[in-house]
Amino acid sequence: MRTILSQMLQTLRLRTYKTFLCKTFLTALAVAGFTLSAPQAQAKCDDVSIANMNWASASMLAYLDAFILTHGFDCTVNIVPGDTVPTVTSMVEKGEPDIAPEFWTNSYRDLVARGVSEGRIVVTGESLSDGGNEGFWVPRYMLTENPQLATIEGVRASVELFPNKENPGKGAFIGCPSGWACQQVSLNLAKAFGLIEAGYEVIDPGSAAGLDGSLARAYERGDPWLGYYWEPTSMLGKYDMVQVDFGVTHDPVAWEDCIGRPDCINPQPNNFAKSDVIILATVRLKDMAPEVTEYLSRRQITNKVLQAMLVWSDENQADGEEAAMAFLAQNEDLWTSWLDSATAAKVRAAL
Amino acid sequence: MDWLTFPALDREVLRAMRKTLDGGYRDFSRNYGDQIEGVFDPLLVLLVWLEQTLIHAPWLVVLGLAMGLSYVISRQVKLSIIVGLALAGIGVFGMWEDTMRTLAMIASATLICLVIGLPLGILMAQSNRTQSVLMPVLDAMQTIPPFVYLIPVVMLLGIGKIPGLLAVVIYAVPPVIRLTNLGIRLVDHHVLEAADAFGANRWQRLLRVQIPLALPNIFAGINQTIMMALAMVVIASMIGVKGLGQSVLQAITNQYLALGLFNGMAIVILAVIFDRTSQAYGRRIQKHRQDMPRGG
Repeated sequence: MRTILSQMLQTLRLRTYKTFLCKTFLTALAVAGFTLSAPQAQAKCDDVSIANMNWASASMLAYLDAFILTHGFDCTVNIVPGDTVPTVTSMVEKGEPDIAPEFWTNSYRDLVARGVSEGRIVVTGESLSDGGNEGFWVPRYMLTENPQLATIEGVRASVELFPNKENPGKGAFIGCPSGWACQQVSLNLAKAFGLIEAGYEVIDPGSAAGLDGSLARAYERGDPWLGYYWEPTSMLGKYDMVQVDFGVTHDPVAWEDCIGRPDCINPQPNNFAKSDVIILATVRLKDMAPEVTEYLSRRQITNKVLQAMLVWSDENQADGEEAAMAFLAQNEDLWTSWLDSATAAKVRAAL
Repeated sequence: MDWLTFPALDREVLRAMRKTLDGGYRDFSRNYGDQIEGVFDPLLVLLVWLEQTLIHAPWLVVLGLAMGLSYVISRQVKLSIIVGLALAGIGVFGMWEDTMRTLAMIASATLICLVIGLPLGILMAQSNRTQSVLMPVLDAMQTIPPFVYLIPVVMLLGIGKIPGLLAVVIYAVPPVIRLTNLGIRLVDHHVLEAADAFGANRWQRLLRVQIPLALPNIFAGINQTIMMALAMVVIASMIGVKGLGQSVLQAITNQYLALGLFNGMAIVILAVIFDRTSQAYGRRIQKHRQDMPRGG
């Protein structure tokens, strides 16, 4: 508003340079313009873009942040599509989008560290306070007849329980989709625990839709299923799955040296680390609107709350935006604790 | 200001509709999924067999077979040599196994498309009513975003070759139907009158006059079908079809430029091989026509 006004002023001034009357008028206009834009001047939070990652919880958080930023902090917000690697790359290289509301660090620590050290992005805080939990899962209904499936040794010995239609005689282990970092990891872990040796084939489901579809189809029919999954997700909120016990704890050194790498020759048993799930913001946003990054540093959700929301949105076929609105309606105590009372009141008024 | 917004159905009503549809489909797939899957089992056995044969056969044999086959079909030594070189190139770059998987998939998909598409196209040309029913169906098949039908297919049949094959066929079959129909309809009616005057019955007219004269269009349709089947390889890999598409997918999600380029090129090479061979065949069986337009 102010820039437009000053441009107008300049053009007008050139034309009416000699007219005293006009000058007076213009001064009056300028003063008026300044007073008009004064309230906006302190909360200058324009053009904030939030990455809407292509999975349900991150989408909900994107809309949640967008709503609070728009109504609580008077920002102009737009939501842009995103995916883990492209988004963080774009944040570091091009400075946009400004916020990645749910970023799983475990495989991309270097990427984040580089962006932080180059002064392009900041880690404002944890997005999910419990962190993410990855692992191999089987449906609980399989355990009543085959309790041995609770441990990885039992799974290894029960290859015949997971038939593989496309490769008869082999067992089916649904791995992680193509291109996800967990693809290599789950393959190496399957080797490390002797699943491959025992006759399992690691099947690439191709996409999140493929992975979800294969799990949903098996669960709905009570068929066997063994594969990689993670929480918090609506799938694990909705379907009663048991995480296979690996019997070992996370060894970060062996993980970095071997399990996480494609050239891991002799993988040893290891376990997934609890993944830090953080919020990333650009330095531009931090400089422009420190109160927003301050809010982001407090915006933490537990897995229980999030998973309940995910099941709700799944049952109600809600998209990220509807889920965010439902979250705001159902968890007022939680989100008001992230905001000072004046901001919270503004958000409440907008609901 | 209410009249400014479109009077859409209430959110709750829409939600109820979506839930009912989803629930209905879930029950359907729960109850009949196994039977429907059973129907496709022979096809799966065939696909697995073809793929395993191609992968496990010595590469020299496969290469020789491909060159021989392309020669028998096209009767062009040059083309056969190009096919050999192209496949060898793919092998040198370490994409042999993936290419064989994709080859098996595409060959089966194209075959199924032709088996379904050619008769449908002919049927469509015979009756205007069939045409008016089929046209919108074909339009929908070509424009609907693949994932819209992939989700129910995956719910019903799981991930892997069969759902992948279905997706490819749905996407790739329309051109051959359309262009067969068009080709037959474009046959000059004077020629048909002449055929009638010679006392040709319906079958003779179709097989000896209409189809031969429609061949340029039919082959253009086959060409388009092959191209679209190959274009679908990457989408199919998103529901767990192994092959070149998976590597492309991996390249996309990780931004591996070279990997994507290599595998993309391999897909292009397969497309060119299929296309040139089928087009050469088309030209050969229409050698009598001097003014044969080149298809594609």
